[in-house]
Amino acid sequence: MKITRRSLALGGAGLVAGAPLARPALAQNDPIRIGWLAALTGPSSAPAVGFNRGVLFATEAINAAGGVKGRRIEILTRDTQGDPTKAVNATQEMISQLRVHAIWGPTNSGESLAVTAIMARAKMPNIHPCVVDTLIDERRYPNAFRITPSNTQWDDAVRGYCLNRVNARKVAVIGDTTGYGVSAVNASVAGFQRDGAEVVYKANIDATQPDMTPDMLRARNAGAQAIVIWSVSTGMIARMLNTRATMNWDVPFVGHPALSSGEIGSLVERPANWEKVYAIGYRSCSYDAAGNLPPRTADLVRRLQGKVNLQDTLLWWVASAIDAIDLIAKAVDATGSTSNDAIIGNWNSLRNYPGYFGTYSYSPTQHNGFPVEEVVMSAANSARNGAFTLAPGY
Amino acid sequence: MDAMTGTAPPRTRPKVAGPLSPLWPFLLLLAIGLAMPLTGNAYWGLIATRMAVYWVLVAGLNLIVGYAGQLAIGYVALLTIGAYTTSVLAAGNVFPPLPAFAALGAAGVAGAVAGVVVGLPALRLRTFYFAMTTLGFATIVTQITLAWQDVTGGGIGIAGPEMPEPLDTTWGFLYFCLGFAAVCTWLTANIARSRFGRALVAVRDAEVAAEASGIRKPRLLVLVFILAGALAAMAGGLFATLQTYITPDAFTFDLSLLFFIAILIGGRGSILGPLLGTVILTLLPEIAAPLAAWSTFLYAALLLVIVLAMPGGIAALIDPRSRRKLPENRVITPRTAALDALLGQRKVPEPMRLSGIVLAFGGVRAIDGLDLEVAPGQVHGLIGPNGSGKTTTLNVISGYYRPEAGSMAIGTNPLRAGDPEGRATLRIARTFQTPRLIGEASVLENVMIGGTIDGTAGFAEALFALPRHRRDERELEARARLALEAVGLADLAAARADRLQHSELRFMEIARALMLRPAFLMLDEPAAGLSAEEIRRLGALVRGISRHGTGVLLVEHHADLIFDICDQVTVLNLGKVLAAGTPAEIRVHKEVVSAYLGA
Amino acid sequence: MLASIIASGLAVGAVYALIGITYNTMFATSRVMSFTAGQLGMLGGVFGSMFMLRLGLPVLPALALTLICCALIGVVTEIVAVRPVLKSLEQHLYVLTTLALALLIQHTTAMEWSTEPQPFPRLVNFGSGIWDEKYWLPVVVCIATIIGLEYLYRRTLVGRAFVAIAEDNFAARALGLPERNLRMASYALAGAIGALAGFAGGQLLLAFFANGSLLNFYGFIPVALGGLGNNRGAVIGGFVLGLFQQAANFMVGGIFSSVAVFTLFIIVLLAAPQGMFGAQAARRV
Repeated sequence: MKITRRSLALGGAGLVAGAPLARPALAQNDPIRIGWLAALTGPSSAPAVGFNRGVLFATEAINAAGGVKGRRIEILTRDTQGDPTKAVNATQEMISQLRVHAIWGPTNSGESLAVTAIMARAKMPNIHPCVVDTLIDERRYPNAFRITPSNTQWDDAVRGYCLNRVNARKVAVIGDTTGYGVSAVNASVAGFQRDGAEVVYKANIDATQPDMTPDMLRARNAGAQAIVIWSVSTGMIARMLNTRATMNWDVPFVGHPALSSGEIGSLVERPANWEKVYAIGYRSCSYDAAGNLPPRTADLVRRLQGKVNLQDTLLWWVASAIDAIDLIAKAVDATGSTSNDAIIGNWNSLRNYPGYFGTYSYSPTQHNGFPVEEVVMSAANSARNGAFTLAPGY
Repeated sequence: MDAMTGTAPPRTRPKVAGPLSPLWPFLLLLAIGLAMPLTGNAYWGLIATRMAVYWVLVAGLNLIVGYAGQLAIGYVALLTIGAYTTSVLAAGNVFPPLPAFAALGAAGVAGAVAGVVVGLPALRLRTFYFAMTTLGFATIVTQITLAWQDVTGGGIGIAGPEMPEPLDTTWGFLYFCLGFAAVCTWLTANIARSRFGRALVAVRDAEVAAEASGIRKPRLLVLVFILAGALAAMAGGLFATLQTYITPDAFTFDLSLLFFIAILIGGRGSILGPLLGTVILTLLPEIAAPLAAWSTFLYAALLLVIVLAMPGGIAALIDPRSRRKLPENRVITPRTAALDALLGQRKVPEPMRLSGIVLAFGGVRAIDGLDLEVAPGQVHGLIGPNGSGKTTTLNVISGYYRPEAGSMAIGTNPLRAGDPEGRATLRIARTFQTPRLIGEASVLENVMIGGTIDGTAGFAEALFALPRHRRDERELEARARLALEAVGLADLAAARADRLQHSELRFMEIARALMLRPAFLMLDEPAAGLSAEEIRRLGALVRGISRHGTGVLLVEHHADLIFDICDQVTVLNLGKVLAAGTPAEIRVHKEVVSAYLGA
Repeated sequence: MLASIIASGLAVGAVYALIGITYNTMFATSRVMSFTAGQLGMLGGVFGSMFMLRLGLPVLPALALTLICCALIGVVTEIVAVRPVLKSLEQHLYVLTTLALALLIQHTTAMEWSTEPQPFPRLVNFGSGIWDEKYWLPVVVCIATIIGLEYLYRRTLVGRAFVAIAEDNFAARALGLPERNLRMASYALAGAIGALAGFAGGQLLLAFFANGSLLNFYGFIPVALGGLGNNRGAVIGGFVLGLFQQAANFMVGGIFSSVAVFTLFIIVLLAAPQGMFGAQAARRV
């Protein structure tokens, strides 16, 4: 259906098809169109694949229950492959051609930076899971809301865990050479130094570097008591974990959620190499000491049973995508309108909205709605149904 | 043969198509772009703007890849440099913030410098190596933007410059980019149509002939790298505004491929083709949304199919010259009258002397103590069996080979060994055993290459089509038509050279050599493959040329032709002079007769 | 620390050298530099991982299958991307056809295999630390390959025919050598050598689609350094590059090491376009 819409528009009639400037006011049975900017293929596509399952599940659930005030939800997906240029094109298409009512995504920081200003110009209600701090600016981008923590919140959680639970005073901070890796390492180093810890080793490693021994040796010789990782490169992380084992060093790894990616499980030489690795996680998607999920999440997992595969993805990806679709639907339900102002206004009024992934609170001056205390560290190798056990110390 | 008597016979001159003719496809594309606001759909505005921005880069790159044949794969490096220069200067990260236009101009300057740096290896390295170095530059630039966080914002990136009113809207910016693209099209077309553009193609397809015409490849390429670099960097500035925000990961290898492949599927040596290529490749992922994931795959498949099945690209499909029927049973009818207009009133040069020339290839003495004098106004035949050193002698005189001993001089001025590009200024012209031609160019353009060094206008004048350049072009074209008239190919001026018959190509090469108004003309087996009648006409033509004061050195196997038209004959054997004298003397020379003439 | 830099430098250097030899082997009989050289190396790792880990085959059958698959891809390269453009070699169309084919291979691998690095099993399970299998295996394979090739070129009839074609194509054809078959054979051989590089370096580089373009570049540098067509030069160039790259990683960090490698590469090329052991190109009038 998406295909025909597009190719029809182009089949010569494109110039005319998009032409009607003054559309009649929304018909009551007009579907609620949600644009979904997903990096479904290409490198770093794993999160979007997970989010996508949540999107489909939530949409099906809402539509099966009769939609929102009788209006169905229609998802218009565009695969950006994480390429900013493709994301810019797709965003403008959603705004001007597909005339969506809200956009969920994009899912990677580079593309997200490129499209934020474009969405702001169109006042397009946007909710996204990207962590880069500058993406949220209530004054310049009053339309943009974040469903996940910000990078600062991640950073705070990692630093807090290193300083307070691992009791490391000397840390090594390591990232890859991508844009995200470089900026995250710099931010993290600044944070540790501000809090009086000593960053004894800082490096951006080319993710294709075949051997991590020199870097690990340097970190150990400098006296690092924890290694902080900012990278999404599973190959690089696995190599570092294997090197740590070869060196017989039991330093803990703390950092980016990619540390808990399932790919690492297959890349480490021995399962034991994945011990003492703590990745950012979320309270809502973590097992407590007794091995139980919080009741609301447990309920969700039961509902997902048999419909959504959680084995090769993360629960929080699925849960946050469900929340995002729900937030859009609830806003339309509450205001009875799909206008930009109505949706944004509704989101700005949310106080302790109970989602599956988190309890969100937004206001006109705070669009980082994820509560910082719900960011936790989890044991990276403890995945079960896409959720993790809390790291020791909680 | 009535025309033989008139000086300038009235005849219809087939017009030769320039790179912008026909003009209507360009105007149509521009009109579609200008009409975009009527859709009221900013999405199509964005796509159209993107095409215009990409075209600004591709238009310049087209001169490098499409015209000069240098395979610069990693040109996204220039886009990156331009985008970051503009954004950084406009944001004021280093200096006080500049207005967007000033920043764009500065990016152009940075791009010109970077264009030369990226291009320089092309002057020394072979094709594949050069392609690899451009990829290397693309990597280096990306890594630097990542690492230099204070200025470029590192991985977090930097906001693109905002245009001043009224260009800050979707449609305002579209119009600006369309205007910019139109200007770039005009500029690059000016170059393509100029002696510089013809020289680029000559370097690509007939490098040896280009050298003999006095074209200095390094200088030429550097000029083009400056232009292409500046355009690409300014495209980068526009790209940054279009994207609103740039990070290093926006400058992908896929983007670089898009630029490169757009030119190749468009077709080399064309402007409309690569323009259509850019439009198609920008549009393709948009219409084929479900195939988005496979877009690179599609580009690659397209490239493979084009190269294998349609090497001329889109341009060959839409080029009327490749379909128009050439008249059959054509006859080459040289008109010596045109030679008067072409070669008349020249100072008669002094004779060229070679003495004691020695050249060995790996121990084999190809030339072994050769003495030779070519007098002005005479035809000097050089004969001998295969491998006796005839063509090698021509190559020594042309400067392709550097002799190990001996000296060359014109009158009292020594002739520098080596330096093939310097021969044209000394009015030494030549043809080749296998004709060196630019198949995709018209016969007229092929001939005009011979007169490249007589242009007076510089690159910048050609770029903006200033009066002196236009005068150059008029003069060169008139002279080329005269030369074609003289050799008898006037009717074929507009035809593509690769559609000519072999014999016609030989005459075309003579016309190209005549463009220099040569003091000395060296012909390397011009009669090979010609019919008896054609050989007779060739003989008359060569005589005619020599009677205008040119010293002709003729390497030939046809003994009849040699004895018919030569004033002097030198016979070579194993690199040594076996005999020298007038045809009458040679005809009765014992050894020559017994060895070659077989009578 | 020095030991580990040397160990990993020699190991990646050996892989680069093998890719360089892959380039040379294809070049020898066709005068064509093919962008598929690096992709063959990548496929060596991917096929190896697929046969051993996904299909559960033992090492030797998996190796044999990998070599056969890559040899086939070498032959396909020859048929699709090389043979049709050989007659107009001076137009350099092979740069475009082999680039296109390389992109097709890489993209298909990304879509059908994985965009994340996949594990590659240990093969002989011998050694640890700097004597770990992943370091010594590529070096051993590289040395074995170069010895094998020397034997092939000097002692066997087919090898001598390769050399004859490489030295003078026209003369060889005039002697009645089956030039086309020999060219296909050399592409198959190149495919197998590329596969060997990927297989031996599988532990080091993992089975990762992006290794293709990486090896393409880093495998080309030894060729440029050592002189086109010179296998011994490629081996020396490969080891030099590997050591330089690992040392640069260590000295200036991941971001600037690639800048250092590329800069060095461009400077060396400009200073000595024929490489350290290459011959001057002949005049073409």
